[in-house]
Amino acid sequence: MTDEAIKKGPERTRRSFLTATTALAGAALVGLPAMADARKRNPKRGGTVRFGTRDDSVGLDTHRNFIYFVSHPLSGITGGLLDFDGEMNVVPGIASEWDSSKDLKTWTFKLRHGAEFHNGETVDANAVKWNLERIKDPKIGHSFTRSALSDLERVTVDDKYTVRCHLKDPSAAFDSNVVYYPVNLMAPGAVDKADTAPVGCGPFKFKSWKRFDTCELVRFENFWETDKDGNTLPYLDGLIGKPKKEDRVRLTALRAGEVDLIDNVAYADAPSFIKDYGKTFDTWQVPQVGTAFVAFNLKNGPFSEKDNPDALMLRTAAAHAIDHQAIHEAIFNNQGEIAKGFYSPSSPWYSKDIASWPQYDPDKAKAMRKKAKDGDAKILIIANDSYPYMHQSGELVHAMLKDAGFNVVFEIHPTPVVQDKYNKGTFDLDSSANSYRIDPDGWFSRSILSTAPETRRRHGYKNEKVDQLILAARVERDRAKRRQMYADVDSLINKDLPLVYTHFVSLLQAGTKKVHGYKPAFTGPFQYAGGGLRTTWIDS
Amino acid sequence: MLAYVIRRIAYLVPVLLVLTIVVFTFVELLPGNIIDTLIGTEGNDDPEVRKILEKEYGLDQPIYVRYAKWLYRAVQGDFGNSLVTRRPVALELLSGIPATVYLAIVGISLSMLIAVPLGTIAAVRRNTPVDYTAQVSSLIGISIPEFWFAILCVLFFSLYLGWLPSSGYASPFDDFWGSLKFLILPAAAVGFRQAAYTTRLTRSSMLDEMNKEYVDTARSLGLSERKVIFKYTLRNAMIPTITISGLQLANLLGGTVVLESIFAWPGIGRAIFEAILQRDYPLVQAGVLVLGVIVVIMNLLVDLTYRYLNPRVKLG
Repeated sequence: MTDEAIKKGPERTRRSFLTATTALAGAALVGLPAMADARKRNPKRGGTVRFGTRDDSVGLDTHRNFIYFVSHPLSGITGGLLDFDGEMNVVPGIASEWDSSKDLKTWTFKLRHGAEFHNGETVDANAVKWNLERIKDPKIGHSFTRSALSDLERVTVDDKYTVRCHLKDPSAAFDSNVVYYPVNLMAPGAVDKADTAPVGCGPFKFKSWKRFDTCELVRFENFWETDKDGNTLPYLDGLIGKPKKEDRVRLTALRAGEVDLIDNVAYADAPSFIKDYGKTFDTWQVPQVGTAFVAFNLKNGPFSEKDNPDALMLRTAAAHAIDHQAIHEAIFNNQGEIAKGFYSPSSPWYSKDIASWPQYDPDKAKAMRKKAKDGDAKILIIANDSYPYMHQSGELVHAMLKDAGFNVVFEIHPTPVVQDKYNKGTFDLDSSANSYRIDPDGWFSRSILSTAPETRRRHGYKNEKVDQLILAARVERDRAKRRQMYADVDSLINKDLPLVYTHFVSLLQAGTKKVHGYKPAFTGPFQYAGGGLRTTWIDS
Repeated sequence: MLAYVIRRIAYLVPVLLVLTIVVFTFVELLPGNIIDTLIGTEGNDDPEVRKILEKEYGLDQPIYVRYAKWLYRAVQGDFGNSLVTRRPVALELLSGIPATVYLAIVGISLSMLIAVPLGTIAAVRRNTPVDYTAQVSSLIGISIPEFWFAILCVLFFSLYLGWLPSSGYASPFDDFWGSLKFLILPAAAVGFRQAAYTTRLTRSSMLDEMNKEYVDTARSLGLSERKVIFKYTLRNAMIPTITISGLQLANLLGGTVVLESIFAWPGIGRAIFEAILQRDYPLVQAGVLVLGVIVVIMNLLVDLTYRYLNPRVKLG
């Protein structure tokens, strides 16, 4: 069990408690609206932040669609059983306390009383059960959201505010899977409006959405969270999301005063922006939004042991050809850090005890490639066009492998084509990335464990020792031990080379000086317990 | 005339039928499908779940069965729901069409307002500094990529001068004067390039007409030069200009993805482009239908304009 396993929600001060109860008595005479007035308000509250983002949700149903907590303004309406703080530690959300059984197969969540959905429905145990079951429905739940509940067998309700999750297999990481991203809660009574006017329980309420244009949210007055002084959150009156896919368009909008905050400054622009506009704008470094890597196809082809007895030698040759420093300088513009494992030094899961991948050595790469069988085979590198760093890294790796004498071609494709190539195994190398996982089990169990559907589909890596470590870490309560186990897995990955970690994907967020109290969580989410846009206010 | 119009509208049916078959087939032939889109870059693909989803989205049926079902619903006005947003396709298109129509009409109007006078003056004052200026300007306009010009406009008018917003959209029905602010730069980007083509075309059409005998006849009858140019010559010279402008307008009504991205303009072009990338078949099909109707109607309007400009032109 983690140190934070049993937590209580924030306690009101005695004075604010008395104020509230006195007001409640009055409210009983004059009606419920008085309840909101009794809640303490920060004198700095108010204003609407215009948030320029590189992306936008494709739909409004927060179960069906992937609602990214860094770049999708709609994420402002989402809330979950649990929350996370600025350091990505799991903290109470709608559940004020939680605990697991000794065998880690049953997790009990005690819900805070009085938490509401945006339409006034109570967030009770039945609502939570309904939500989890809806997400688990393969016809509804987005695959990313659903995968967070892949261990969940059934949900039972003990009483109005106690819900119990029964897992198929024990897991020490289950609590990290029920934070609001991605397992968010929506109002059961508003499910018929899920695609047009979603009703969540997050700090902001949905107001309107025009695809590719705006996403408008307003403050949820009855949000359960307060700041350390007992003031209600969020402070802002509203949030207007302005999706602007092109990096320069977004940055221009910030500089022209059309938006107050942007989620990402392009790597090429970041150094000059800080230098030239550091006094006019505030900037926030996000050390790790994800981890970029180059994955090999181990199911078939020259890098697969099935087809080539020298596959490991060939993968090692390719790894020696990759100049990580060049990727750091050319693609990421010296922003962020080179990755040797999945977690960066900023993460609580980071370990320095990871054996490195093969160092950049082009002569060794050439020699090994010549020696290996199928060293002259035609190799296809693919990259997704979704994010510039993915296909730029792919392009650079292509050039590096070519220099080492590999017969490589490089293709950039949209998501459906890349997925199709995974399904058919018609690629040899894939320049890709995966977003940060609050718990390492989220990455290793889903993308490294040999029995995971995604591992089997994508690269087909299989190592018994790696599987043993991942499965053991999943049921280990001691955090330090878990960290070491995952470090050992990363060491084995750097030896077997199913993939080569290249770089941590960092971000630079920027905003005008009018925006106060804002700081993204260290992996980029713009709203989290006690921070982000929940505690932001803006000068009028 | 009425019979001609009715006949031309009736041509819509076979044209659209062929168009939808071709587009349906091509999109189907693209690798990947909607399920791959829904999985995204972070999802996990479970083969068992994939089978369930294929059944849910009808992808387990042969292509001709899916097309027939779509066609049956489409003729009743039901284009179904977007597979991605799950909102009615009609709603998705309607939310993008006003922005595109607004930009296209204003862009083309701007280009005509610039190109017709400039091309006419250049032809009338042939081989003078005015003519040379018009020719060089139009050559520059044709040579400069639209998106580059758009970025220059944004840099100059938004960032440096601060006169206009760099991107965004406001509906003219909500706030007409406010919407103009957002419209000026994208319309200028659209209009500038179109004006360059149209200027050259107007100039050369005018030169052709001015060499014709009826012009000499009109002059010898004592008509003023202004009347000869604007009442007779220009009217005839406008036929090719109208043709090109009509085609340009039809093209613009299909949306310009690049400009819509630069200016964050929520038009139909980007919606259809994203739908193709995401394999959102109902939205692609309905979008193509709408574009097909637009092109056919635009061609009809262009032909009817010929008749107005030159009553000797026989239609049909």
